Order: sequence, then structure tokens, then C-alpha cells
Amino acid sequence: MIEELGADLDALQAAYERRGLSPAAARREALMRLVPAEESLHELNAQHVPRTARWLKAAGIGGRVERFGAAAAAILAGTAVLTIPAGEAAVQGSLFLWAQALIAALLAANWCRGAAGLWIMGVLPPDVRNLFRARQAGLITGAVSLGGLGALWQGYMGLGTLEASPDLVWHVVRPAVLTGAIGIGAAIFGALGWLALLPRLISDESSERRIETLLTPSRLQRPLDNAVE
Amino acid sequence: MRTTLSKRINELLVLAILEHGPAHGYQIALAVEEWTDGLFSFQHGTLYPILHRLEGEGQVRGEWCGEGRRRKTYRITESGRVIFRAGTTELEEQFRALFALFGRTHAA
Repeated sequence: MIEELGADLDALQAAYERRGLSPAAARREALMRLVPAEESLHELNAQHVPRTARWLKAAGIGGRVERFGAAAAAILAGTAVLTIPAGEAAVQGSLFLWAQALIAALLAANWCRGAAGLWIMGVLPPDVRNLFRARQAGLITGAVSLGGLGALWQGYMGLGTLEASPDLVWHVVRPAVLTGAIGIGAAIFGALGWLALLPRLISDESSERRIETLLTPSRLQRPLDNAVE
Repeated sequence: MRTTLSKRINELLVLAILEHGPAHGYQIALAVEEWTDGLFSFQHGTLYPILHRLEGEGQVRGEWCGEGRRRKTYRITESGRVIFRAGTTELEEQFRALFALFGRTHAA
């Protein structure tokens, strides 16, 4: 659409110039004819949003389905982390496990929100996109930090046991390693989820930049046009 | 689905231009202006929703052509031709009825 608009805009400007208009006036005329006003943009958007989004919007449940999906993913992810048999057995009673489950759940919920926005609703507005990115980065950092801290904490707590019975090394090391592994695992899944959305995010941002480039010169020209004419 | 009269006229204007051969979006906009002596013109990007709707309905077909700076060329399809003919006939009947009514009003 942007490519089509950009090419048509330049060609129409050239056609108006051939009719005797100044380049600035020709550009303004072409912009007035071709650049969609808000109403036309809404119409175009309505034509290009995915069918699922149209159906959800028509049913009036778009936002609720998105929120429900994110909550379900969060519950599932939290439950999955908490029920990892080895992890549960090894770090039973650890507060870090609960915190890690929470981080994993939030990562899953954030990813689902982003994915639903992009592929079901068809759009992720810039502010939501920035929020998605910041949350995902924060949660990944949180997962790694929590895993590291948890591993250190488990090791520190096991020092007493180790002094009393040096044979129990594995008993001390295992929960520490598992806590760290869960943290790194959650971070890797978060990063992979991010990577899965990245091509679409980059494509959306590139489209927005092209729209900005297309329209900025016309905005800058307006005051000059008025001054000249 | 019934569309409003102005929307229908806009669609028929686009189809009428494309009946004469393939054209880019801007050429359609220019041709409408020229052929109607400026009486009709597409403003504020209203052309694109029409073109994309007609494309979605299979009445026109858009194809990208050219190298480097590509342009989209639209051409009317067979189904578009049938709809165009039916649409112009329907519009003609509607206007005839409308002007018959205006005539009676003037006469009265």
C-alpha cells in the first residue's frame, strides 16, 4: 500500500507539474488527492485486517479474547514451571522457584499479547510494541538474574550441610544448578519468542518509517508554499 | 449488500476508466478528473479503499510491474465488466426515475 501510494504520488505530482503547476503546488495537489484521510484509512484498515480480528471485533469480544488468552498462557506457563518434577523435587520450598514461575508466566503472557496483536488483531500500535519490547527485555533480564541469584542462594544455604557432611556435594550442587538452569531456560524461551515476532515487528516499523518519509517533506513544504504564494 | 449511491458511482467511475485499459491508481484519479471535466475527483485517498475493495471482490486485478520503483497496475476482470454493465444500467434507471420525478415537480 505504501509502495503503491509512494509511486502514485510521485507520478501524479509529475503529471500536475506537466500541467504547469509549481513542484510544491503539484506535490500539494497530489497529496490532497491520494493521501488517505482518517476515514479512508479506517476503511482500508478494515479491508486488510485478518478475518479473525474482524469477527472478534464484530462480536465485540476482541479485547476480552486477547486478555483471556494471555491469562491462560500465564497460568499454563506458571503451572509448567512449578510442576517440573526434577525442579520441584530439587528446590522444594525455594522462594526462587515461585518467583521464577511468576517470571515465566509473565513472559508467556507478554508474548501471547504481542502475538495475538500481530497475527489475530493484525496490528500492534507503536506504544504497545515498545511496551512489549521493554517488558520482554525486562523479564528476560529478570529471569537470568533470578536464576543466578537463586543458584548462589541455594549454594550458600547448602554450605552448612556441606561442612557437616562433605559427601553430600551433589545434594547441594543439584538444586543450585537447577535454579540457575530454570532461570536461563525461561530467558531462552523468552528470547526465542521475541525472535519469532521480530521479523514482523521490523517489517511494521519499516512501513511506519516509509510513511513518515513519504509525508514529512510535504509537511515541511507547507509553510514555505504559503510564504511564496 | 447495498452500497450508498456515491460509493456505487465511485466504483463505476473506476471500472469505467479500467474498461479502456489497464491503469495505475494515479492514472485513474487523473482520468476521472479529465473525463468528467473536474466534476468528479477522488480526494483524500478515497481511491485506494475503492480499488482494494474491487480487487478483493475480484472485479479488478492489481499487478505489480516495473523494476526498481515498482507500480501497481489495475485491470478490469470479466466479472468486473459484467458488474460494470449491470451497474450502469441500474444507475441509468435510477436517474431516469429521479429525473422523471423532478420533471413532474417542475411541471406542477
